[in-house]
Amino acid sequence: MWQLGDQSLTSRLLIGSAQYPSPAIMVEAIRASRAEVVTVALRRQRPDEDAGRQFWNLIRETGLRVLPNTAGCRTAREAVTMARMARELFETNWIKLEVIGDDYTLQPDTWQLVEAARTLVADGFEVLPYTTEDLVVARGLVEAGCRVLMPWAAPIGSGQGPLNPYALRTLRDRYPEIPLICDAGLGRPSHAATVMEMGFDGVLINSAVASADDPVAMARAFAAAVDAGRTAYEAGLMTAREMATPSTPVPGTPFWHSDLGAR
Amino acid sequence: MSATLGIAGAGLAGRLLALAMAERGWDVTLFDQDAPDGTRSTTYAGAGMLAPGCELEKAEAEIARYGLQSLPLWKELLARYGPTVYHGFTGSLVVAHPRDQRELQQLQRKVEQRAAESGVVQSVSASRLAELEPALAGRFRNGLFFPVEAHIDNRAWLDALREALCARPVAWHTSTPVARVAPHRLVTAQGDAHAFDWAVDCRGLGARTDLPALRGVRGELLYLHAPEVTLSRPVRLMHPRYPIYIVPRPDHVYLVGATAIESDDLGPITVRSVLELLSAAYSVHSGFAEARVIETVTHCRPAFPDNKPRLLYGDGLLHVNGLYRHGFLIAPALIQFARQYLETGSIPAAAQPIMEAYPV
Repeated sequence: MWQLGDQSLTSRLLIGSAQYPSPAIMVEAIRASRAEVVTVALRRQRPDEDAGRQFWNLIRETGLRVLPNTAGCRTAREAVTMARMARELFETNWIKLEVIGDDYTLQPDTWQLVEAARTLVADGFEVLPYTTEDLVVARGLVEAGCRVLMPWAAPIGSGQGPLNPYALRTLRDRYPEIPLICDAGLGRPSHAATVMEMGFDGVLINSAVASADDPVAMARAFAAAVDAGRTAYEAGLMTAREMATPSTPVPGTPFWHSDLGAR
Repeated sequence: MSATLGIAGAGLAGRLLALAMAERGWDVTLFDQDAPDGTRSTTYAGAGMLAPGCELEKAEAEIARYGLQSLPLWKELLARYGPTVYHGFTGSLVVAHPRDQRELQQLQRKVEQRAAESGVVQSVSASRLAELEPALAGRFRNGLFFPVEAHIDNRAWLDALREALCARPVAWHTSTPVARVAPHRLVTAQGDAHAFDWAVDCRGLGARTDLPALRGVRGELLYLHAPEVTLSRPVRLMHPRYPIYIVPRPDHVYLVGATAIESDDLGPITVRSVLELLSAAYSVHSGFAEARVIETVTHCRPAFPDNKPRLLYGDGLLHVNGLYRHGFLIAPALIQFARQYLETGSIPAAAQPIMEAYPV
């Protein structure tokens, strides 16, 4: 069990609800992922008129904790308005805060992000900010009152995997007490396992599952990878050696000859 | 005495079924919320694309199968009811900008993997692309060609069906929405019950009164008049977020669509959607810069949670609903199944994946 905000969770995989071939496949994939938290976008659904009700009901019926997001918002003000609307619609103070600064890469606008986080925390929200791997931005978000950080591995939907593992490790080292969820850019189960092995508390997956040929099977694959990565982290990974040194003397080879290699 | 048939909904499916059964001597009555021009139907709002290959990217295999089955039926239908309706059986093209090549590769991989036969999709070079659509010469390095795909002027076709129906002894109650479709019985929104041997539901989202699982998936598209652009077949642009299609109509008119938003909002098109559709269209051909926006269209596609259509059958009852974005693609095949069920009471083998006894 681990703690995310006010909730105890068993699964360390959070899942998205966009881009599936159909809502039926989405629901099946969400079940297969064993996720307990699902993110939902509402920007384009006319939340003020509840026009996406039927789709959202399918998500509510999964019984998962809903994490609404502010996808598509470009300023702090827009994101704050969307977060308040989401709180009404889904009766939750959780918000995955996204403020987009670049339309092509969907890279977050980190200035606007910190500003929106400050406003929303003061307003009683549990803010889960989608951010870059930047340490100083992370500090700004923590100072703004965020109790969770969601750094990207790579741009949303790119499937590139962790592009800057060093910075992700730095975040883990500098914020050992803050739940870190790797959000965006993970394309393969092995990417998810890699960040979990670094000690991340969870991962959020959407495109990699939704755009697979078989989203349900891919959801299972990610669930297994997240388990493997976490278990490996807890088990304590061996340290890689610089050279392929035999761990015991090779019988028949005197140790003073061993650096000569095969002739 | 001939069998009586009441049909709720005079969109594409309702009209095709009414014609097919009237020609077999059935006594057919149509009910629809709309006027005979059908401008409120999703048929009128669609683009009339027959793309069984491209649809393999997201749709279930049955959709492609019914789509392929429908292609020769379309040729017969056009010859019979709409010889002058604009159409093209010349295939369709898919292109992508250099940095979105991955989308093109992914589409090709998925289609090849899911297609029942080879040859559904072909890689084409820049020179072949220029042969097929000279207007695209020098604009794209490569593309995909789906040779068997086709397109039909949906609005002209709707009108051709109206004429065909009016020339036959079919009773057509316009401006008469149906609230309930029950065995042997249709009940209008005004509360009038009409008895028939068979009651068939061909409504769009209106069928939610009986089938609450149906949901709306909002689609938006634009009509452009672009004298500087000459394209003879549908062109799709792959993009990670703004995939679009451009479908030609006579006289340099093009449909540019379409969004797919999980919402049953029927309100006017949004600025964001216009920006996305037009930027993408302009990136395909700069001649769209001086095009006129002649119309914007929004509607909601009726879909079941798995986005597959259903033929729900019972004694004296048949629902033909949830055609989603595949109305033109699969309607002829579905109407063939419906006709067979009405005439013989048997379930065609090919229809089994989408036919269910109802109520369960």
